[in-house]
Amino acid sequence: MANVLVVADIKQGVLKGSTAELLSKAKALGAETAVVAIGSGLESLIADLVNAGSDTQYIADDSKLELFSAGPYASCIVDAANQFGADLVWFGFSESGKAAAPRVAAQLDAACATEITDVMLDGDQIEIVRPAIANKVMQRVKINTKHLVAVVRAGAFEAAEAITGTENVVQLSAPEPDLKAVIKELLSDASGEIDLADADVVVSVGRGAKDQAGVDLVKELASDLKAGFGSSRAMVDGGFMAHNKQVGQTGKIVAPTLYMAIGISGAIQHLAGMSGSQVILAVNKDPEAPIFNVADYGIVGDLFEVVPILREEIKKLRN
Amino acid sequence: MKILTTIKKVVDVELTIRVENGAIVEEGLQYVMNAWDENAVEVAVQLKENNQAETTLVSIGGGEDNTKIIRRGFAMGIENGIQIDDPALAAADSFVYANVLQKVYEKGSYDLVITGKQAQDTDHGQTGIILAERLGLPCVSNVIAIDVIDDQHLNVSRLGDAGTEIVELTLPAVITVTDSINEPRLPQMRGLMMAKKKKIEVMDLAALGTSYDEVGGTTPKSQIAEFMKSETRTAGQKFEGDPAEITTRVVALLANEAKVL
Ligand SMILES: Cc1cc2nc3c(=O)[nH]c(=O)nc-3n(C[C@H](O)[C@H](O)[C@H](O)COP(=O)(O)OP(=O)(O)OC[C@H]3O[C@@H](n4cnc5c(N)ncnc54)[C@H](O)[C@@H]3O)c2cc1C
Ligand SMILES: Nc1ncnc2c1ncn2[C@@H]1O[C@H](COP(=O)(O)O)[C@@H](O)[C@H]1O
Repeated sequence: MANVLVVADIKQGVLKGSTAELLSKAKALGAETAVVAIGSGLESLIADLVNAGSDTQYIADDSKLELFSAGPYASCIVDAANQFGADLVWFGFSESGKAAAPRVAAQLDAACATEITDVMLDGDQIEIVRPAIANKVMQRVKINTKHLVAVVRAGAFEAAEAITGTENVVQLSAPEPDLKAVIKELLSDASGEIDLADADVVVSVGRGAKDQAGVDLVKELASDLKAGFGSSRAMVDGGFMAHNKQVGQTGKIVAPTLYMAIGISGAIQHLAGMSGSQVILAVNKDPEAPIFNVADYGIVGDLFEVVPILREEIKKLRN
Repeated sequence: MKILTTIKKVVDVELTIRVENGAIVEEGLQYVMNAWDENAVEVAVQLKENNQAETTLVSIGGGEDNTKIIRRGFAMGIENGIQIDDPALAAADSFVYANVLQKVYEKGSYDLVITGKQAQDTDHGQTGIILAERLGLPCVSNVIAIDVIDDQHLNVSRLGDAGTEIVELTLPAVITVTDSINEPRLPQMRGLMMAKKKKIEVMDLAALGTSYDEVGGTTPKSQIAEFMKSETRTAGQKFEGDPAEITTRVVALLANEAKVL
């Protein structure tokens, strides 16, 4: 039987849904599960880690670990993997996961795969499936090592209801800080906003919105829907949206129930970040815009006219 | 400061990519420099221009197209080029590439290695980070800005989960850069002409002082078993006409048909 160690995805003190999704998948594969949580002030999260479905919780809780630093973070994971005898180490998609996974793999002499969408276990043989070339193809990859470190693509696995684990906490000692890559400061992006990765609905704005007034208009639609508010790269480059709002290949990969692309052309790098959404609505004044090739519902029109009507109609529906 | 920039030849992602019998159909494909590696080259060239850095690029790969991307790097302003061309490496995985890059690094003496955030053909984003592990060097990935403090220190900004992380990096080090760090320059005609005359140092694994076996080629950690078509979405319903009318219809469809509102 395989042992799966899931790296807890904790953002701003909250355990993200991907942790339960990965643990569910591990259980569905018949694996023993453990979770490793790294950070500062984690005591209150232990119940959540158990409820997410883990049977052992490795906890590295230290003020030194408050800010992410890939070296120490990877050391904690390697420590947990060794203690647990992990065959598979899984990260939910996060920038910290993408930074740490290759280090962990190198240290464990494991294979490494990012953006995986499926895992197949057949005795000792591990195989994974993942998209490549901006989602234009899928690859089935044979793993030749006993161990695999993988970053799982957002939305790939679903959390089963009513799986809980058992509490069995193992404290890890905090590694020394990386003196050659010292984290000096974190310029945090507006907190309190809905995290794109968790949002059930995401509304994204593109260059079609032109300027701040256009961005604000689309943002109101997002607020009405309590949606995550994302962006194409064009609006990040234009300075209208924060870097962490970019949806796409170099930004966030999202898979919400409903994705609204407002004034976005649909470049493949953008599509690579949102084409896993359940339903896509596009608003674009160009009937030939490539976004319409992936949209379930397309409105050909000027967003400055369409968005206010959208807001109005959605309000009516809600009342 | 001596800089080593890695560049990879990748398939042009804007083209249609067909899959047949578990493999990508080669016909009609074109190859270009990996987009994020263009950002890496631009970083190196700016460090040359502003901080007197000495710049070298390395690419593992063969053929006309690989020569072309190296020349493009020259035309953008890189001074030296190394090409590791060995047929044995055609289907290597990231660990093998990282092991080869390790040999290249050890043959020279570099203060900073700059790789792209990820290769457009693999979409892995791991080779630079594995290389740093192999070399025992500090590494910062997903870098969006660099600020030189002195010969031995850089402040780099990385886009992390909670915001922008500012990291003080002691050289030698490895960084991987993302596209928002700069706008890669377009090579000028004159640059392209001069680039044609520049010599590329071409080596196979033996010339690099290693072998396919030593870089892990015979024992790959992973192997692509097959390529498959990706599940492509199909175009749904598209509405044109009076904005009020079509928008009202679409909202009703989102609520009643798709049941997502
Ligand atoms: C290596 C690399 C990585 C990249 N990563 C990403 C990424 O992660 N995410 C990303 O988004 N992009 C990424 N890009 C950029 C991508 O290629 C596109 O340039 C970008 O997505 C375009 O953004 P856009 O659709 O907002 O702008 P445009 O392509 O300019 O499209 C604007 C659209 O708005 C429409 N429009 C204009 N006015 C109106 C109006 N009044 N009402 C309605 N519609 C209107 C137009 O018809 C057009 O379709 C990357 C590129 C590279 C090379
Ligand atoms: N064959 C190669 N030759 C040169 N550089 C490479 C090669 N493969 C990967 N790299 C570098 O490593 C980065 C990440 O690649 P990957 O891990 O495949 O996403 C790329 O952007 C390149 O800079």
